[in-house]
Amino acid sequence: MRKYLAIDYDFCTGCHTCEIACQQEHGLEPDQFGIELTQIGPDQITDRYWQFEFVPIPTDRCDRCTMRQAEGKPPSCVQHCQAGCIYYGTLEELGPRIDKKKVAIFS
Amino acid sequence: MAQPKTADNPEGRKWHWQEGDYEVIRSSARSGPGCHDNCGVLLYVKDGKLEKIEGDPENPYNQGRLCPRCLAYKEMLYHPDRLLYPMKRDRDKRGEDAFERISWDEATEIILREMGKVIDTYGAESIWVTQGTGRDINGYGPLMARYLGTPNYGTGFLSGIACYAPRRFSTALKSGGLFIADYSQYMPDRYDDPRWRRPDYILIWGNNPVVANSDGTLGHWVVECMKRGSKLITIDPKLTWLAGKSDVFLQLRPGTDTALAMALCNHIIENGLQDQEFCDCWCYGYNEFAEHLKPYTPEWAAEICGVDAELIKEAARKIGEAESCCLQWGVAMDHTSEGFVTGMAAYDLMALTGNFENPGGMVDAPFAFDVNVTWSAGDDWELCTHDLPNQDKKICGDWPANKAMQAISPDDLLVAMETGEPYPIKAMWMMQNNALACMGAAPQRIIKALQENMEFNVVVDLFLTPTALACADVLLPAATFAERMGIYGHQPYLLGTINQAIEPLGEVKPDQVIMYEIGKKFGRGEGMEQWTTEEEFYDFCLRNSGFTYKTLQERSWAFPEFEYEKHKKGLLRPDGQPGFNTSTGRYNFYSREMVYFGFPPFPTYEEPPESPVSAPELAEKYPLVLTTGARHWGFFHSEHRQSPSMRRLHPEPTVLIHPKTAEKYGIADGDWVKIENNFGECRQKAKLTVRMREDTVAADHAWWFPERDPGDGTLFGVMESNINKLIPMRPGKSGLGASYKSQLCAISKIEE
Repeated sequence: MRKYLAIDYDFCTGCHTCEIACQQEHGLEPDQFGIELTQIGPDQITDRYWQFEFVPIPTDRCDRCTMRQAEGKPPSCVQHCQAGCIYYGTLEELGPRIDKKKVAIFS
Repeated sequence: MAQPKTADNPEGRKWHWQEGDYEVIRSSARSGPGCHDNCGVLLYVKDGKLEKIEGDPENPYNQGRLCPRCLAYKEMLYHPDRLLYPMKRDRDKRGEDAFERISWDEATEIILREMGKVIDTYGAESIWVTQGTGRDINGYGPLMARYLGTPNYGTGFLSGIACYAPRRFSTALKSGGLFIADYSQYMPDRYDDPRWRRPDYILIWGNNPVVANSDGTLGHWVVECMKRGSKLITIDPKLTWLAGKSDVFLQLRPGTDTALAMALCNHIIENGLQDQEFCDCWCYGYNEFAEHLKPYTPEWAAEICGVDAELIKEAARKIGEAESCCLQWGVAMDHTSEGFVTGMAAYDLMALTGNFENPGGMVDAPFAFDVNVTWSAGDDWELCTHDLPNQDKKICGDWPANKAMQAISPDDLLVAMETGEPYPIKAMWMMQNNALACMGAAPQRIIKALQENMEFNVVVDLFLTPTALACADVLLPAATFAERMGIYGHQPYLLGTINQAIEPLGEVKPDQVIMYEIGKKFGRGEGMEQWTTEEEFYDFCLRNSGFTYKTLQERSWAFPEFEYEKHKKGLLRPDGQPGFNTSTGRYNFYSREMVYFGFPPFPTYEEPPESPVSAPELAEKYPLVLTTGARHWGFFHSEHRQSPSMRRLHPEPTVLIHPKTAEKYGIADGDWVKIENNFGECRQKAKLTVRMREDTVAADHAWWFPERDPGDGTLFGVMESNINKLIPMRPGKSGLGASYKSQLCAISKIEE
């Protein structure tokens, strides 16, 4: 079954933990990314509402932490994400966690 | 000794194990490098070397998560610039790259000789022992001062002790203790504990907790509450991520927070939204408080704060109607001259709405298992040295709050260094205190006093900092957390052990060991507690807890039993009576202590000394409001500038400017900008953003450039982008609180 990396970006604070966890796990340099943060806004959409959000995007360097998975551990970005907003699993496993607005899914 | 009652079940919990080629050591990253948290970590060691660090999924504090600084900890631990050996330098070469490696024995000899001379000539009180805020030495530092025989111990050059002390002391007068936002952190099962309910509203006030993680609060707990339905109200001059997620965002002018708090209380009372039962049963002076607030309407505050009155009313209504609300406060409260009152006013809002000791409200933070040394300076060390005959000589200044809490006045101590009044300060012992770069206001004065007026300076740190380069005569290398043992519990929800994972690099030693090994040679602890091993030392620290280092280590951490509504059960007062641990037994809307100090009994608003309102003539020359010191993801204050992956996140000192404001002054994104005011000037790089108020700029603090040659004469460039040159060393009327976040300034483009 195909597994997906899902980001609930309603709750991503832009803390860079996923980037650094990945670099440390894979021995990457500070300018090499297995997952990279992007920013939306700040954009004043209505008088009272600003969109100022972040979405991390996995790159071609991402191997979904194959080695960790073999040891029964989640990918490093999933475990360490401070906001707990990166999930990994089959669509079935992801279930209600992705049944909402503002979820980005990477296959 | 019987094991104490605990709320967690340690069965099956191990503190070290083998995993493939790795030895895994369970520990906590408190600390250094600097941090205010207690995150559980797993340290993976191979052939004596730390290979990787991960969050500990079993530790209820961080539940396996970890921030970038800790994940990249190896960059600090194994950094080629790490200070690994004791160093000495001739006094006439202060500021020069002229250190010479010495042994610990020689360092100790020099310290005994030179401190001895100062003690003989000027008296032991002429030594000032300082700490910064990074490592876990708040509780231990006073021991060093007692060994040296000086009453002068505290934060180094932090004007008005403007970090937590103003809030903690002023709100203790109100509530009899420290009450903090309840994110379920007291319970080992956390969010799943059936007694806990997420706050309806979290009031994010002068704080960006997800970045700052201050004072034992892991900021992302707020995000977990948001997932469970908590809503936010944010009070900040800058649009933060949390502000963008808030129901109400009050983007106020820096330094006007007290006015806002008073108006929120006013509107709640005007609309009958207060918790009348709590006010009647548990509070002192409610009627007078309500009367006092009458003139302070949302319209009044709107004018002062520069926010819409309707937004203030909406926030007040939401707080008043919520079943629970908690205050997530930040150092901005302390960073204005009259900040002593700001915390009180915000606490009044919590009391008015009955948000004390309720799930998702403000809960008491007592010492876990009676151990306070892990986070707070206590009196534990009286058992370890002879009484201080010069205790009454402590330099508190004439400040009522400092005198009442028997705290030093860093502002007056700097004057004593400069003028010899009330008596000379002639030697410094500075631990984890990079004051020139970080907490010291008016660094122009501090550098002169340290370099020219001191007979002897000892600095203890992880790296050669600008402060050490400027002034250290003896420089001692401190250990980081993987290299040492210890105990943790910064903010006391739990108590646990820091477990040593690797041999210390070079000849580094833990701060605590440096203190008791060198300190006890001064002969003031003769016949008292003596320790030959660290374990003995920590057994002493734990003596009232029911644990020894070993029994605590076996279970890694322990949570005390916890319950809500302690004020109703007689659990807040030592006499076991219901109520709060104050002189009235109630929460004090009316503060008799404030009257004793010569201040009004209720919060009143005063403009910052330098503001467009209080100093219009000054504002003609310096038209913008200057706020400083917001945290960045990769840095803990002045630390981590040498960690490559942390520096990548924020490579240069930046000042945030609204694009319209920047246009007015001909400044483009990325330009170097001169920031100046009546106190001084510095340069930072412009970052244009609509997140700022148009009338306010936000400048970075704590910058230095460790990549520079220490011999280039610039002290790692510490004075170039140093925003504290624009901040005076001057507290507010109480002695606590200073205007780090409410100055005036002008900005102009620097032509390259």
